[in-house]
Amino acid sequence: MASSPAMFAGLLLASCIALSCGLDKKTLVLLDNWSLRETHSIFFKSLRDDGYDLTFKSADDSGLSLSKYGEFLYSNLIIFAPSVEEFGGNLGVSSITNFIDNGGNVIVAASSSVGDPLRELATECGLEFDEENTAVIDHLNFDVSDEGRHTTIVADSEFLLDAPIIVGKKSAAPYLFKGVGMVADPDNPLVLPLLHASSSAYSYQPDAAIDDYPLAIGTNTLLVAALQARNNARVVFVGSIDFFSDQFFSSSVQKANGGKKYEKSGNQELALNLANWAFKTRGVLRVGDVKHHKQGEKEPPQAYTIFDMVDYSIEIEEYKDGKWQPFNGKDIQLEFVRIDPFVRTTLGNKNGLFHTTFKLPDVYGVYQFRVDYNRMGYTHLFSTTQVSVRPLQHTQYERFIPTAYPYYVSAFSMMVGVCLFSVVFLHFKEENKEKKE
Amino acid sequence: MKSSAGGFGTQWFLKMSTDKQDTLLKMSILTIAAILSFSTRLFSVLRFESVIHEFDPYFNYRSTRFLTEEGFYNFHNWFDDRAWYPLGRIIGGTIYPGLMLTSAILYHLAWFLNITIEIRNVCVFLAPLFSSLTVMVTYQLTKELKDAGAGLIAGAMIAIVPGYISRSVAGSYDNEGIAIFCMLLTYMLWIKAVKTGSVFWASLCALAYFYMVSSWGGYVFLINLIPLHVLALMLTGRFSHRIYVAYSTVYCLGTILSMQISFVGFQPVQSSEHMAALGVFGLCQIHTFVDYVRSKLTGEQFNLLFKSIVLLFGSVGTLAVAIATALGKISPWTGRFYSLLDPSYAKNNIPIIASVSEHQPTTWSSFYFDLQLLVFMFPAGLYFCFKKLTDSNIFIIMYGVTSIYFAGVMVRLMLVLAPVMCILSAIGVSGVLSTYMKNIEAPNKKDKKPKRADLTYPLKHEIATGVVFMMTAFLVTYTFHCTWVTSEAYSSPSIVLSARAGDGGRIIFDDFREAYYWLRHNTAEDAKVMSWWDYGYQITAMANRTILVDNNTWNNTHISRVGQAMSSTEDKAYEIMRELDVNYVLVIFGGLTGYSSDDINKFLWMVRIGGSTDRGAHIKEHDYYTPQGEFRVDKDGSPILLNCLMYKMCYYRFGQVYTEQNKPTGYDRVRNAEIGNKDFELDVLEEAYTTEHWLLISDQCLCISFATYRTGKHAKSFATNSSLHRLPGCRRHLQQNKVNDNQQEENHNEDHGPAARKKSCSVVYSTPDNTNSHGGVDRQVLMPKPFIIQLADSADHLHSEPIAPHVLAVAAWVKLMK
Repeated sequence: MASSPAMFAGLLLASCIALSCGLDKKTLVLLDNWSLRETHSIFFKSLRDDGYDLTFKSADDSGLSLSKYGEFLYSNLIIFAPSVEEFGGNLGVSSITNFIDNGGNVIVAASSSVGDPLRELATECGLEFDEENTAVIDHLNFDVSDEGRHTTIVADSEFLLDAPIIVGKKSAAPYLFKGVGMVADPDNPLVLPLLHASSSAYSYQPDAAIDDYPLAIGTNTLLVAALQARNNARVVFVGSIDFFSDQFFSSSVQKANGGKKYEKSGNQELALNLANWAFKTRGVLRVGDVKHHKQGEKEPPQAYTIFDMVDYSIEIEEYKDGKWQPFNGKDIQLEFVRIDPFVRTTLGNKNGLFHTTFKLPDVYGVYQFRVDYNRMGYTHLFSTTQVSVRPLQHTQYERFIPTAYPYYVSAFSMMVGVCLFSVVFLHFKEENKEKKE
Repeated sequence: MKSSAGGFGTQWFLKMSTDKQDTLLKMSILTIAAILSFSTRLFSVLRFESVIHEFDPYFNYRSTRFLTEEGFYNFHNWFDDRAWYPLGRIIGGTIYPGLMLTSAILYHLAWFLNITIEIRNVCVFLAPLFSSLTVMVTYQLTKELKDAGAGLIAGAMIAIVPGYISRSVAGSYDNEGIAIFCMLLTYMLWIKAVKTGSVFWASLCALAYFYMVSSWGGYVFLINLIPLHVLALMLTGRFSHRIYVAYSTVYCLGTILSMQISFVGFQPVQSSEHMAALGVFGLCQIHTFVDYVRSKLTGEQFNLLFKSIVLLFGSVGTLAVAIATALGKISPWTGRFYSLLDPSYAKNNIPIIASVSEHQPTTWSSFYFDLQLLVFMFPAGLYFCFKKLTDSNIFIIMYGVTSIYFAGVMVRLMLVLAPVMCILSAIGVSGVLSTYMKNIEAPNKKDKKPKRADLTYPLKHEIATGVVFMMTAFLVTYTFHCTWVTSEAYSSPSIVLSARAGDGGRIIFDDFREAYYWLRHNTAEDAKVMSWWDYGYQITAMANRTILVDNNTWNNTHISRVGQAMSSTEDKAYEIMRELDVNYVLVIFGGLTGYSSDDINKFLWMVRIGGSTDRGAHIKEHDYYTPQGEFRVDKDGSPILLNCLMYKMCYYRFGQVYTEQNKPTGYDRVRNAEIGNKDFELDVLEEAYTTEHWLLISDQCLCISFATYRTGKHAKSFATNSSLHRLPGCRRHLQQNKVNDNQQEENHNEDHGPAARKKSCSVVYSTPDNTNSHGGVDRQVLMPKPFIIQLADSADHLHSEPIAPHVLAVAAWVKLMK
């Protein structure tokens, strides 16, 4: 067999899964003031119970730093400091975006008085907060506890994005929200509008007369939004810091205009789901063993030959309930790509081992087995394995082709003919001469 | 024989019979010529080292190595996945294997004899070896045509003719090196076959032809020339049984043999280039048959029969050819062949053929440069041939006339012309000399002066002496010219460059190999490198990395795709590069140092080739010119040119470099212009490596600089710029951010600039010091290339935060919409 250097090069790219996911739970919590630890104690306690290692710091602490000696100190960041005008230490928007670009996860809670740093951070992530002192107002769906400005609004659970991996199972209880609205950049496909306001909501300063078209109207007004970056870093923006508060977690919900009364809002459940998703204890996929070989063999050949039957299998696991478990998706597809896909088939799932057998195309070249699985809520799963597909060797062609039999016959008959002719020619030459004489 | 000056050696010589003396003299002359032809090709080895030259030879070398290591069958079935990613290339089926087989056989033979020679050296010295063999064959051929004297002159001439040396210096390991030998061998055996009419010689000729087919695509010339010769003989009424036997044997055997080469395949019976041979073969049969019939019939009967049959078969034949062509059974004439007949064809229709410099028409000066004396003696040789016309002379006349036409069309075919020039000139020189030598009266026979009574020819002796002296002088100048040309023009490996320093010493620049070895040692094993196709073979052979296109330009669309990437804006190019999984881009840039065959000068070809396919239809050549129709890289240049990928890669950070005294920064020394677009950042690429000679040294230095750029997946993990993974936010805000960022960067720049510069200078100065000791040239380092700073300082700066931003290789992530 030919063995050009590295004729077969297996390339496994599971880069999409940060090594630290699910394991490293070091979390930095930035606070506006220390009283938040008390007012939001349920949220923090639940996080602690889930095993997160929380470090509380004031947002203007002069010793703030996300990284030391080029390595990040935390894998998660919670910013509960909506009104911060400038972070302390060497923390800034650029260092936070750098943190995200290196796979860090962030939860940001805002309020009506959003400071510039958070605003910038949001724009970096394809979201835009409405202007200062604005709030989401809904004159129809506000909570009974509202003080007359109609800013404590009730968002029905049906406004939640249909993504159980992120937001969990839909509860019947609606959510309480009091804070600023957001709009998403329509050009950014990575932004997920997790929770939007009802069609009667709008975002404006509650105390001012409306003489301008509001930035966000109706269902465009986002209350909770998330971004999963290409490197699978997750960022969640919540327009309301009160959303996480003990008060909202435990209060009952009733729409002011005589809606149904729920004993407890859905906030706590949603908040924890969001935190678990954002901090990658849920919705994380990883590629295990990728195997491919000719049907009936065990090891991958140096190069496949066209028309070979090939077995391909890939192990995919999901991080669920604190451990890696076989992934049970049914819609994972394999593509056999040489610039364009030549084969595309769905992989059969056998307890997390995805497998298929297919015939290689009649075109030689350098191909890739490519599994590119992109589903909402899950990390981007991308695995390519490069293989060469060579043309037939000179011994692999058919020796005799039925359609060519007339030619074989003609060739052999010609040979026989020439033989006979030479015999005849040689024999009759002398006789001719004699006749002439 | 004239040297009867006495002494032991000559006495021993004189004791022999004249025949023996003759043979010994011939043999020694021939041996000396052969040795000369070998040694004159060694300039480059002595001057540089035993390396393979240029581009194509690197591929040949690589495949030879493969052949020796893996054996013939693996070589025959070799599918190369390193080239033409992701298409791959079936090497076994797309090459002429003769060259590789020859060197592999020589290699194994040497090892069998316990000569432990390296395969590289076999390759390097193969062409000189075969040129020695060519000397022998030329002698034989000319001897067949005229006499041994002419043969000796032809052998000596071909030993040093620059037109042949240009393709056969040591290290120039290319098909042509052995093909000329095969061609002349075939011709020699063909002449033998024609002269004797024997099947034996004809079969040998067919075998030689097979060797020729297996080694060079130029065999097409041969398979057209031989039928042409036969046709000419028929037309001149010299057709005989000898020729019938010779041609029928050669054609049948040769065709069957040539079809064994898988690259040739069924072409000999299908393509129009081979139809002439088939036609003449048929004509031979008819001619013989007609001769036979004529001998049996009366004149009138014969004429009637002849006319009607010619009419019938003529019309049927024309019809058949027309139908076959229409149905595509006879392949349409390939572009290279068209460009032989019509020099402007390729230029107008196939940019990829026209872009190769050796496919350009030959200039007059290069005829003289490559052939010198032969240009003038060639007509004389023709005259002598015409004077005594024989079957074999007709052949050499046809060869001379056709090849001089082809050489005029394509520079490359000078190679085919050179041998016939030598042969015909040798016939001319020999004719002149033998004519006049007779007229010189032997000096020791002065008393026989009365014999000079020939009044019709006054001053016979003086004229003859003058002519002989003149001819000798010519031959001597020819020798000097050839040696000078070989030494100056044809002995640089083009992979290692040399320049003359002020004091006449040589300076060697090795940037090509530096870059390839960098790729080899610093990139992933399966990294894909995009470069213009010229460098493809070298990258695979020396860097051992996968490439997209190479010098085997078999897939125009793929090359065109690379051309499109090079001539598009960064965003567009990025899409193409992602499509082709490119990891690195390699460009050659000589603007800093004055190396003129760099990628910017080749750029228009990339535009033309890029725009020649459907997908590149939006790339139009005139967009890259100024409104006045000029190709300029300065401020007046077309904005499309100033923003395309190739421009940006070549001139990245060039705007900050002083190249020449009294000139502004960013002064391009090849184009002699200050570049028009100085301050820009690369968004999707990151500078990975730039070779050493970015420094401007003295005026006469020739150097190149390479820039390899990293793109694709790697950029992802190293991405540092904002909005990479997260995509643009709301636009108005983002732009503000950008402005802020830039300001910050500038601030950094000022802060850290002086320190960095200081440091870099100390690093950079060390290099010219070294070279100074070599060349002793007065050089001035005006501004070091910043990249070197990073290399030198990276260790120090690893943890301290900001390095000057222009030093930091900035990776960025283009907006890639899902």
